[in-house]
Amino acid sequence: MLKKTTVNQLSDLASALMEKGTLVAPVREDAGFQFREITDAKRVDLNFHNTVISPKSVFFPQTEDFVRYRTGRPMQEAEPVEPQGKPLILFGVRPCDVKSFEIMDIHFSGTGDVDPYWQARREAAAIIGYAFDLGAPAEPEEFYQTLGIGAADPEGSDIFMVRRGDDLLLKSITGKGEALLTGMGGLAGASADDEKFFDDTVAAGRDFKTRFTCVDAEVITKKLEDLFHNTDFWEKASNACLSCGVCTFACPTCYCFDICDETLFQQGTRRRVWDACMFTDFTLEASGHNPRTKVYQRLRQKINHKYSYHVRKYGVISCVGCGRCTRYCPVNIDIFSIVEEAMKA
Amino acid sequence: MSFEPKILGIACNWCTYTGADLAGTTRLQYPQNIRVVRVMCSSRINPSFIFRAFQLGADGVLVGGCHPGDCHYNTGNLYARRRLAVTKKILEFAGLEPGRFRVEWISASEGNKFAQVVTEFTGQIKALGPQTKFKIS
Amino acid sequence: MAVSFQQIEEKLKTEARRLLESGEVSLVLAWGKGYDEKHPMPYVAKCPSDADGIVFNEYCTHNPARYLVRYPRGTKIAVAVKAADSRAVVQLIQEDKVKRRDLVILGIPVYGIKNPKTGELIDGKTTCGLYNPVLYDVLIGEEVHGQPVSSPYAVLAEYEAMDRDARFAFWKKELDRCIRCYACRKACPMCYCDPCFIDQRKPRWGEKSPEPAGNLMYHLTRFHHLAGRCIDCGECSRACPVDIPLYLFHKKVAKDCEEMFGQAAGMSIEDKPVLVNFRMEDSDKILE
Repeated sequence: MLKKTTVNQLSDLASALMEKGTLVAPVREDAGFQFREITDAKRVDLNFHNTVISPKSVFFPQTEDFVRYRTGRPMQEAEPVEPQGKPLILFGVRPCDVKSFEIMDIHFSGTGDVDPYWQARREAAAIIGYAFDLGAPAEPEEFYQTLGIGAADPEGSDIFMVRRGDDLLLKSITGKGEALLTGMGGLAGASADDEKFFDDTVAAGRDFKTRFTCVDAEVITKKLEDLFHNTDFWEKASNACLSCGVCTFACPTCYCFDICDETLFQQGTRRRVWDACMFTDFTLEASGHNPRTKVYQRLRQKINHKYSYHVRKYGVISCVGCGRCTRYCPVNIDIFSIVEEAMKA
Repeated sequence: MSFEPKILGIACNWCTYTGADLAGTTRLQYPQNIRVVRVMCSSRINPSFIFRAFQLGADGVLVGGCHPGDCHYNTGNLYARRRLAVTKKILEFAGLEPGRFRVEWISASEGNKFAQVVTEFTGQIKALGPQTKFKIS
Repeated sequence: MAVSFQQIEEKLKTEARRLLESGEVSLVLAWGKGYDEKHPMPYVAKCPSDADGIVFNEYCTHNPARYLVRYPRGTKIAVAVKAADSRAVVQLIQEDKVKRRDLVILGIPVYGIKNPKTGELIDGKTTCGLYNPVLYDVLIGEEVHGQPVSSPYAVLAEYEAMDRDARFAFWKKELDRCIRCYACRKACPMCYCDPCFIDQRKPRWGEKSPEPAGNLMYHLTRFHHLAGRCIDCGECSRACPVDIPLYLFHKKVAKDCEEMFGQAAGMSIEDKPVLVNFRMEDSDKILE
């Protein structure tokens, strides 16, 4: 089913969605756009290219409480926090970020052990994807075409949006999306011409040019394996790296976390927080030994994990080419270029 | 019920803490809101103690050390004077009321001064009211 | 500026090549090509042919002095520095993290460095406002004179005049946004502690999660740790992915330290950092 509204009626669309569940949508802030829970429908803003932090934070929040406890009390009295299953609508997700959820599913539910917190949110969410603007060139940091993702790929979304002039076309892709779209008022029916425009846009999206490098996951994996002991290569690659962690936090497919207890005045929470393999103490062991004390070791780990080990274990590169790592790197490291250099080495 | 502030006092062992003892032995009265922690020297004070104290709910923090020139370790309080001056400036720029953090030089023989400063400080904190800006709720 | 960016780049390349060929240094820290013109990267040249990779343009905002502590003591290093960067080198020498004799400082006087995110000229509002390096062995280009003097503390007037509660609300809004990525810490040439206080568990100084309590503790303590040491390069603020104006607080602390102790960070290698120093004549007035 294809419906439409106008961009001027965006806040009406947002209000209608807010009646169906918690709406999480892009919002303009001082530092750029971010996905936030919407309380004021007028704040939803689609005049963005992409958000600073990826929408993984909707399913995998930066802070997630697991257990609340009081110190000095028996363990049985601790209260587990129930996984959140309330209906959620994630609005305005770019195709590369939609694809990232599929890759993250591998880790949070695909290996047999299911993370109930991720799963509950994932099942309760309807994803409304949003095509990139094919009229404007891709940003220099983006390379999703390399990873086989099209600028207007609807796969993975429940509803997919394409902008046509001042109109916003909304097409249901899954049963969940169809049900959501049917139940929404305030939308106009789309014409046959709109249908054609939608399909043409999806097709054009497949050919839309981003920075592109021909990749074969198997070839990359083998090359990186061969390069593991080439310290010169990795040292050169990591010369500028500050080993900060911004790339990890901005990345839609990074999923490492730490579990810590935060206690204050006899009560506390056991919670998970995002961690980053780039942090110096990521591999610090209880004995005091740290196998990765040097920046080049940590950078090598990051590249290998995403483009080599992940392929060996799960058959897919852990990257969607959104370009955030490069865009927000304080020293402008183009992370995928390290892979490109590795291919040439 | 009127507001009874929680005041953290950090006193150096050789001067201020001894001065506080003197106030006690000479039966001088002063408000009981202050909870005193003893350190060997005022320069032992890590500014993070002050920040954390306010986060944990202190309404006021009073630091007491030897007079400059009389430090038991010769130079400790001279470093502390600079360091705690910076701490004060940071708290002010962050927007905390300046009257909530105070540094005084109180020697071992100044029992009177100890009682007087604590009384004055407690009164000032009472007037400022509960500290809510930094307090973790 | 009398000397163009292109000319500075050429001179840097020549110097780097010469120093590496003669063996006077084993590496040169400068800037190199990034993924496009607006995004150069910090760069290390280890052999003479590497010198060809050196780049210098108006987007070379990074502070190469940041990488000095990464190399073993005694490594002979040539480091290309702009004004604020040179102060970082001086400060590191003061703190004995690197020896003067192990460095060849390539000082670059420059006016016209721009912020790649905004395209704005970088001046005293977000950096130390100086155009000429304070210490160098080789001057790359010519000293900059006649450019508008940019006070590094003028930008503070608005915040100092603010009502206290409004100022608290401002900092709360800014610091609550922090995602604890630690880009600020890692971009700073003076943040070399291992382990950093915030990574310690016994005792735990601040919460790990990016919530107001831990964020305030992390930032206030970091501002304190950099008191009298921050050389106002502004890299921390440019590194921040959520644009927290950290430079404002660092500038305030730097201004207060200059007023109270009569010394600015990173100006002379004979100085001792203000918080590891004292004078009997320090006034008690600073505690009022």
